[in-house]
Amino acid sequence: MSLHRYNLGLLLIILNIYSLGLIDALNATASDSAANPLQAPSDHSHGSSAVVSSPVYKPAVDSSYWINLLSSFPDDLEFSEYCTELLRLFGQRYVAFVNCLVPAARPVRVCQNCSPGYSSLSEVFLNISSDKLGPANESCRDSILRSDRLMLVFLLYGSLDTIWKKSNCKQCVTTDLTGPNNDTLYYLTLLNQTITCFEKYKEGNHTELCKNCKNAYKGLNDLYSGMEKNSTLCIDLEDSMNMTRKLWSKNFACSLPREETIPVIAVSSFMLFLPIIFYLSSFLHSEQKKRKLIHPKRAKSHTSLMNIQDKQS
Amino acid sequence: MANITKKVSWSSRGDESGAAGEETPLLNGSEQSRPLRQMSSGSTVFQIGRLSTVDLEEEITTEEQDSARGRPKEIPHNEKLLSLKFESLDYDNIENQLFLEEERRMSFMAFRCLEISRWVICGLIGFLTGLIACFIDIMVEQLAGLKYRLIKENIVKFTEAGGLSISLLLWAALNSFCVMFGAIIVAFFEPIAAGSGIPQIKCFLNGVKIPRVVRLKTLVVKVVGVIFSVVGGLAVGKEGPMIHSGAVLAAGVSQGRSTSLKKDFKIFEYFRRDTEKRDFVSAGAAAGVSAAFGAPVGGVLFSLEEGASFWNQMLTWRIFFASMISTFTLNFFLSIYENKPGDLSNPGLINFGRFESEAMEYNLYEIPLFIAMGAIGGGLGAFFNFLNYWLTIFRIRYVHRPCLQVIEAMLVAAVNATVAFILIYFSTDCQPLGPDQSEEYPLQLFCADGEFNAMATTFFNTPEKSVRSLFHNPTGTYNSLTLGLFTVTYFFLACWTYGLAVSAGVFIPSLLIGAAWGRLCGILLASTTSTASMWADPGKYALIGAAAQLGGIVRMTLSLTVIMMEATGNVTYGLPIMLVLMTAKIVGDYFQEGLYDLHIKLGSVPFLHGEAPATSHWLTAREVMSSPVTCLNRIEKVGTIVDTLSNTSTNHNGFPVVVQVSGDDEPAKLCGLILRSQLIVLLKHKVFVELARSRLTQRKLQLKDFRDAYPRFPPIQSIHVSQDERECMMDLTEFMNPTPYTVPQDTSLPRVFKLFRALGLRHLVVVDDDNRVVGLVTRKDLARYHVGKHGLEELLLAQT
Repeated sequence: MSLHRYNLGLLLIILNIYSLGLIDALNATASDSAANPLQAPSDHSHGSSAVVSSPVYKPAVDSSYWINLLSSFPDDLEFSEYCTELLRLFGQRYVAFVNCLVPAARPVRVCQNCSPGYSSLSEVFLNISSDKLGPANESCRDSILRSDRLMLVFLLYGSLDTIWKKSNCKQCVTTDLTGPNNDTLYYLTLLNQTITCFEKYKEGNHTELCKNCKNAYKGLNDLYSGMEKNSTLCIDLEDSMNMTRKLWSKNFACSLPREETIPVIAVSSFMLFLPIIFYLSSFLHSEQKKRKLIHPKRAKSHTSLMNIQDKQS
Repeated sequence: MANITKKVSWSSRGDESGAAGEETPLLNGSEQSRPLRQMSSGSTVFQIGRLSTVDLEEEITTEEQDSARGRPKEIPHNEKLLSLKFESLDYDNIENQLFLEEERRMSFMAFRCLEISRWVICGLIGFLTGLIACFIDIMVEQLAGLKYRLIKENIVKFTEAGGLSISLLLWAALNSFCVMFGAIIVAFFEPIAAGSGIPQIKCFLNGVKIPRVVRLKTLVVKVVGVIFSVVGGLAVGKEGPMIHSGAVLAAGVSQGRSTSLKKDFKIFEYFRRDTEKRDFVSAGAAAGVSAAFGAPVGGVLFSLEEGASFWNQMLTWRIFFASMISTFTLNFFLSIYENKPGDLSNPGLINFGRFESEAMEYNLYEIPLFIAMGAIGGGLGAFFNFLNYWLTIFRIRYVHRPCLQVIEAMLVAAVNATVAFILIYFSTDCQPLGPDQSEEYPLQLFCADGEFNAMATTFFNTPEKSVRSLFHNPTGTYNSLTLGLFTVTYFFLACWTYGLAVSAGVFIPSLLIGAAWGRLCGILLASTTSTASMWADPGKYALIGAAAQLGGIVRMTLSLTVIMMEATGNVTYGLPIMLVLMTAKIVGDYFQEGLYDLHIKLGSVPFLHGEAPATSHWLTAREVMSSPVTCLNRIEKVGTIVDTLSNTSTNHNGFPVVVQVSGDDEPAKLCGLILRSQLIVLLKHKVFVELARSRLTQRKLQLKDFRDAYPRFPPIQSIHVSQDERECMMDLTEFMNPTPYTVPQDTSLPRVFKLFRALGLRHLVVVDDDNRVVGLVTRKDLARYHVGKHGLEELLLAQT
């Protein structure tokens, strides 16, 4: 193990590395952590510009008895400060992300509201799981992710990651996960137009609504179908479209009516009538195919069938 | 004598052996001058002692008596006929002197090479069958996709703008157009390619030579025809034709030449006879099954069950090899087509998908339910066959002209589209679009936005895809009304379609009908009990229903079980599928025969079943045999032979060869058997005793000359024999089979039957105690006995 072994039993010193590009003004969780005395670890490509600081930190302070129990392990098995910090950061961001997700469940606003939260969470996890060494030649991957059977951090992150992948949010937001991309914005404008139109004509006769909002709705629907084909949809858009379609078809009953029953029945009964004519005419006019019987040469007479029956009876 | 050779004027059209061959007539006749005794056909008639005088009279004056009695000479077609146009295959080896000579000349190494080339041929058969399956699959997918996209666009357009009846007409017209093309090539060019081809292959493997069944032309018509009939939206599948295609390929590849294309690769010449060809055809059929269902073992068992009466371990192993290669080839090329080269997960044309989820497991208490479903399948299958039987009789009697057949097929296609359209139009079963987009062409019509018409997923798709969606779509995709309506309409449509003059199989429609009502059963079961939704997964019941329906229609047992098992990829389903197929067969057989057997019967084919009809032991060879027999002398006059062969009223194929022991009064004794094909080759090569004497250089006729003429021996009419040559003599000693199988007169029918089945005989000579020919038993003599409603019945011979 590459754990550092100097400064045993004394103050634990963590080598923190600041990365200037990391702390993002848009990143809510990051700004939270900025208030803390602790700083976000960074990837090691910025290692050369590292600033070493030594904040004092006692692992036992805010822990319960369980941690006390843990602290009695020999030193070299002990968890490094650096990793503890990472773990804490992970927890914070995790909570923030979940806090964002739950209110966004219905109506679905996952991609619009929580993309930055996912971005920062995955950043921490990337740090944890990267096999590059931290300051003082340490890697938290093994100690945090793989030391036990439960692999809690991995499971926690896995479940959120699944949610993220299922939501398909990647399709709707910009590549740095900061906000909706252009396609989504355009779609949202159309959606707003349609909804406004719905609101406007909601009162009174729905046929009016069906007529007046048709263009807006159709434009939205076509855009959606186009995006469906390009697979540039995410759960937010799908959900909003679903709701709109439901409003349109169910609430306002603007679906297409079944109007042409009579011509369809007429044409199809004509078609169904054709085979009857065909079979009747072929029965009446076509000569019946006859088979010429051949009389085989037999030792006995042809009427051996009669003989069969004679013999059997 | 030299005079004769000068005057020889052969118009041997098929003989292109060159001037040298013309100049030096082939000679095998022995030089010895024997007293040439001409036996006219009248004098060679052997009347049997038991004949009464009345019978004798009838023999002589058949025509007059018939007209006098007013007995109908022509009757409408029915199932109790045997057609004269079918002949037997010569499975038995002709061990004449030429054969023995050739065997002597062949080294041990040559025999080893033969064995190796058998394996090579089987590999080739598998490879080519897989390629053809791949071709069919891709063509159908592309063309059907084109058609459905076109119609869908049209429907979407007209749903909004009005004028859906135009969409209906477009759909019907597209269907009819495709089917018209498919029907024209079948009806006008190769009628034998109609239907699934399985009955024909069954007959071929049984030993009946169905004319033109394994020709290249048939293959082309079959493949193109099936593509058009599936694209045309008929209720048909492409699996049956695949089996036929495999068999044709096998017959072609194993001969190393194509007679149709007049191309001879000069390879595999040894295999140019019925015995070898038939073995390869069974390999081809197996490869076809294997490609169609992705079931190599099922393919081998299909050949075993349906066809090959003649079977040994090495043959089985070779057939399995062909099967495996076939499914692998299909797999490989489809993976390239789907841009996933090397991903070998498309083993068959139809892919049932995987049944591996937990809901798909079955429990012991479901077994009785499965058996009940098997009984339903058997009953429905019998009903299907019953309807199709009457329809087929009607078709044979009244719809026999090709243009009528084409019109009929087009009408069926149009009605298919119409019925589907009506059902889709009036269906109110709307389902939300799935997240995985399993529907390829979802139709919305009057459903709410974001939903699709559930009826359209069953009709508006190729049958294979519909089967798969019935198996695998999640619970609640179809409501019970949709499924019920679909089952009823598709049942009648499929029944109506089978037997049209298009190349099409019945496997997939049967599976589809069964899957629909099976799924319905599952849904009903789940609704009867509140907890049932836990176990009554509709997909599982759809599979069982499909097996039951298919078993009820085609009545295959072992091979079908294995095919279904392999197609689902789940061995644990073996038991329920087996039970279901068993029940379906028992119930179905109670009412009606299987569809293939029915069509074999209606085709008047002399088909030999596994066993002689029960209660036939009292029949002896004397009653069964044909008599009197036209015999030939060992040294026979050419004129007599030509006359015998030219006689159109008696289209005999085998002639016992007799020899006069002593004196003119003694009846002649049997010394061998010679076939029509051999005689024709001999006549063509003018193997006359007189010519042999006049020639110094002689080229002996070899077995190769017989093989070159195989399998299309020229008719006797194309061989011209001058008046002088008619007086020449032919010595048959070298060419005849000197040891034909014979039986005494009192042999019982089942014994004779067994000989035919086990040895694959074509002619069986019946002799008396002094080895004198009294009769000849052929396939038609045996096949005419069958057990009907009133005990043992006899089929009539007819010219068709």
